[in-house]
Order: sequence, then C-alpha cells, then structure tokens
Amino acid sequence: MFETVRYEGKRRLRGAAILTAGVGAYAGFIVWYFTVLEGVNYEDVFRDLPPAMLEAFGIESLSTIEGFLGAQVFNFVWLLGLGLYFAYVGGGTVASDIETGRMDIFLSLPITRSRLLVEKFAALLVPMIAVNALGGPIIYLFVVAVGETIPLDNLFLAHLLSIPFLLVCAGIGLAFSVAVDRAAIAERGAVGTVFVLYLLESVVGGAEAYDWIQYLSPTQYYEPTPILIEGSFEAIDSAILLVAFVGLLILSQALFERRDV
Amino acid sequence: MSGDSARPLVVEELTKDYGSVVANDAVSFTVNEGEVFGFLGPNGAGKSTTIRMLLGLLKPTSGTAKVLGADIQDEAALTDAKRRIGYLPAHLGFEEELTGETVLDYHGEMKGDTRRDEMLELFTPPIDRPIREYSTGNKRMLGLVQAFMHDPDLVIMDEPTAGLDPLKQEAFNEFIRDERDRGTTAFFSSHVLSEVRRVCDRVGILRAGALVELENVDALLHRSGKHVRVHASDDAVTAITALDGVVGPERFAEGVQFIYAGDVNALLRELAAHDIRDVELGEPPIEDVFTHYYGSRAGVDEGDGGEQKGDEPDGTGEDDV
Repeated sequence: MFETVRYEGKRRLRGAAILTAGVGAYAGFIVWYFTVLEGVNYEDVFRDLPPAMLEAFGIESLSTIEGFLGAQVFNFVWLLGLGLYFAYVGGGTVASDIETGRMDIFLSLPITRSRLLVEKFAALLVPMIAVNALGGPIIYLFVVAVGETIPLDNLFLAHLLSIPFLLVCAGIGLAFSVAVDRAAIAERGAVGTVFVLYLLESVVGGAEAYDWIQYLSPTQYYEPTPILIEGSFEAIDSAILLVAFVGLLILSQALFERRDV
Repeated sequence: MSGDSARPLVVEELTKDYGSVVANDAVSFTVNEGEVFGFLGPNGAGKSTTIRMLLGLLKPTSGTAKVLGADIQDEAALTDAKRRIGYLPAHLGFEEELTGETVLDYHGEMKGDTRRDEMLELFTPPIDRPIREYSTGNKRMLGLVQAFMHDPDLVIMDEPTAGLDPLKQEAFNEFIRDERDRGTTAFFSSHVLSEVRRVCDRVGILRAGALVELENVDALLHRSGKHVRVHASDDAVTAITALDGVVGPERFAEGVQFIYAGDVNALLRELAAHDIRDVELGEPPIEDVFTHYYGSRAGVDEGDGGEQKGDEPDGTGEDDV
C-alpha cells in the first residue's frame, strides 16, 4: 500500500525544501519591509489607483501587518506564485514520465493506471503541505520577531484554506499532463490556464455584464486577505474548489485509462 | 483447460493502426512454457509496438492477446498477472537522481525481490550511485536485475543486450539458457541474428508490422547464409560469383561481396583455387536476410518509429566457418 506515494514523495522532498526556504525568505523580507514603511500614509499613496487595480492586488489595509502580509505574501505568493507552481509540477507528473520512458516501467508493475495516477498525484502533497505547515510558523516567527502580532487562528485558516485552491491548480496541471504527449506543453498549458484565469477574475470583476466569468477562476474561491484580517471566509468556496478538484481528478483518470503511453 | 490457455503467451490477430502507419498488422503467434522465443526484425519493424501492447501500455486497434492467461484488455487480470511478469523495456527510463538501490527497493516492494542478490552477482550496476552517472550498459544491467528479481514466470525483453559489453552479453545468453532450464519462459526482441541464434528455441520474424515467418532457429540459419566479402582479381571474382548459392553479388573496386547460402566447402574450395588478397566471412546483417529471402528492401523502415535507431546491426563480424 502506498509504495508509489512514498517513492514519488521522496523525489519531491528536495523541491519541497527549496520551495519552503524560498517562500520563507521572501516572507521574512516582506515582514522586515513592513517595519521600514511604518508611518507611511497608505491612503494617500493608493488614492489615485483605479479600483480594479486595488482589487487585483488585494490591497485593503496595508497599514496593519495582516493586511500587508495578505497583499504582499498571500496574494502574490500563495494565490499567484504557488498556484502557478503547482499547475506546473502537476503538468509534469505524467507527461514527463511518458516522455522519458519511466511510465513503461511504472506500468509494468502490478498497479492499475488509476491507482498509479492517484499515488503520483498524492506525492505532490509533500511540497503542498510543507510550504504551508512550515511556511505558516516561519511567517508567525518573523512577525513576532519584529514586535508585531497576528491572530494565530486567522493565519492557520489562511494556510488551511489554500490547500483546496492549490489542489485545483495541481489538478489543472494533471489534466494537461494526461492529455498531451510532451511535458513542456503540459506544463506551459497548465501554467497559462491558471494565469489567464487569474487575470480574467481580476479584470472582469469590475464589469457587471460579464462578471459571471470570474466564477470560472479558482482564484475567486480563495481570498486570503479577509481571512487574515477578519477571519472571514465562505465554506461554500472551499467546497466548490474541492468538487472542482475531484472533477479534474476523475477527468484525468478517464483520459489516462484510455490513452497509449 | 485448452492447450492455448495454458500457454504463457497467446497472440491473436493483434493489430495497431496509427492511421498513417500500421505498426502491427494481424500479428499471431504463441509462446510455449519454458521456451526462449526470439522476436526478430529490423529496426522499426514494429517489435516494440507488439511488446508494449502485451503489457497494456498501448491499446490494440483490433485483435487480442493473453499473457499468462490474462486478456491484455482486462486491466484487473493483467495487473494481477504482472506480479509474475518481468519486463525490460528498450528505452530504460529510470529516475536519474535516484540511486539504483532506491529504484530496486521500490521494485522489491511492488513485486518482490527474492532473487535480487543473486541477480546483482551476475549483473553488476553500481547501485549505490545515482543513475544519472550510469553508462548505457549499467542501465541495461539494472533493468535486467529488476526484470528478474521477483523470479517471474514470463520475462518480456525489448532488445535486452543493447549497450552491454560482449562479456556481459555472453553472461546474459548463459543466464537465459539457465532460466529456461528452470522453467522460465522468455520472450525477447532483437535485430541481431547472432544473438537470437545463440539462445532462442524458436523465432518469429516481424517485418513492416507483419509476421512473415515462424520457424525454429536451425531453419532460419540455413536460410540466412553467410555474408562474404572477397578481395581478388576480376577473373577470380567472376568464377566465385558463378557458384551455386551466391545471392545478390555487389562488385566494388577491389572485389565483391555477396550472401552465400550454398555448401560452405564448395565456397572454400573455390576460394582456395584463386589468389585471394583478403576474405571476410560473417553473419549477414538482418536487413540483408530480409532483402534476399523475403523480397525488396521497401517497407523495411515502416512500422513504428518508436524503436531505437542507434544500434547498427552487428551481424557482419568475423565468424567461424
């Protein structure tokens, strides 16, 4: 049981460590930068920006550490950066194995295709959990170190609720990965799709006639800044993301069952 | 139980049509228990396509096959059968950053490793090193270890000796003969006539996706003849090429080369009667065997393009006469 998860998960450890270290270092820089900017009147700075831009960058209240982290770390790194990262690695899971011939060896083992796919995908939980389980405490320690405070429960929620979002991004990658023959195309396709959805949500949000388009984007269902500031979130949003993820997984399995490798 | 269902490998009208090319065209054969079966054909004939369909990697367009009694279209049955199947693919895609040991540990967990140590005495890849440092031969040896480590009943190998040095090739041949004596069934593809000759009990010949001949090795050798290259005067060349059994003579500046399928003694007597500057006798390249015995060269390069094209046939080497 789960031999393949362990095997593939081990291969993800190095990437997970580098990812977590990078994100942690960036968060440290942002927390330090917050102390440098203390005293700046943000209302003056951002008064002239168009509302769509404020919305796009999730700029709500930059004068508190929660608001500042929400805009600079969560909206940039978790929503965009990690979303694209997991779309990318999801895109590489199956397509790169097929391209290098590794899939021949995997499928010569006594394991069904659907199980192999699930176990390979499950190995992506290693970096996904690492960056949240370690990234959260790192951010908290930085905040405490500069003499600020942040509600622990809100920080915990912001990390926990990012998991369904990141699963959907990785699921988009997985669907590309089983649908095309070359890893580079699957990776680019997945990254491009998540990025376009992010842009659509940001841009269309202000236009009422087409505001339904924003509901296509996974970024619509994970808003870290209100979670960090007020602890407010909609449970239905996470449910929608989880349903979308299961749908992508089932679609990927159906495609993988049928294809030649 | 009927005779066919007890056989480790039963292939019936297996066809793979890619639209632009038919990689396998109604291929049918059976492999008996405890037999070494050679699947012979030039590069690109469709051998890998057949093998990959047998393992469920490719879906046949039509036809079917049973591997250890499991229908290749029945995923559950085939997955179960894979516990007793060893597979060595032509292209060995191992995780480059892992050590051979880590890969073998995983394979052991998945299918068993009762013979792992024994295999590692015979084939010696540096298992404590990352696979990215492996030579082609080392990768092939690691592939052989994983293919046999769980003591399978049926071993399917795609060009098993490609990249092995001659000593390891000999070790492999001997090992396969011993395995057969233990009752293991082996099915392997090759484009090298001499390799097939040394270890196989029976041979199937695939050409441009279609099985052209099923025969025992003696009959094949009898038909394949010798590749002869003679450096001599024009008069001598004329006399030599007039012998019975000379097929497809090709003149070059200093002599002639041809396939000789007649009596070897007659050839040697004729050679001895002339002033010969140099002579080479060897096994014919398999492409030439096809050309001379099964028709023109056309179509040889059709079939699936997925096979490795790097290895030139090495059947022209010196040989005993």
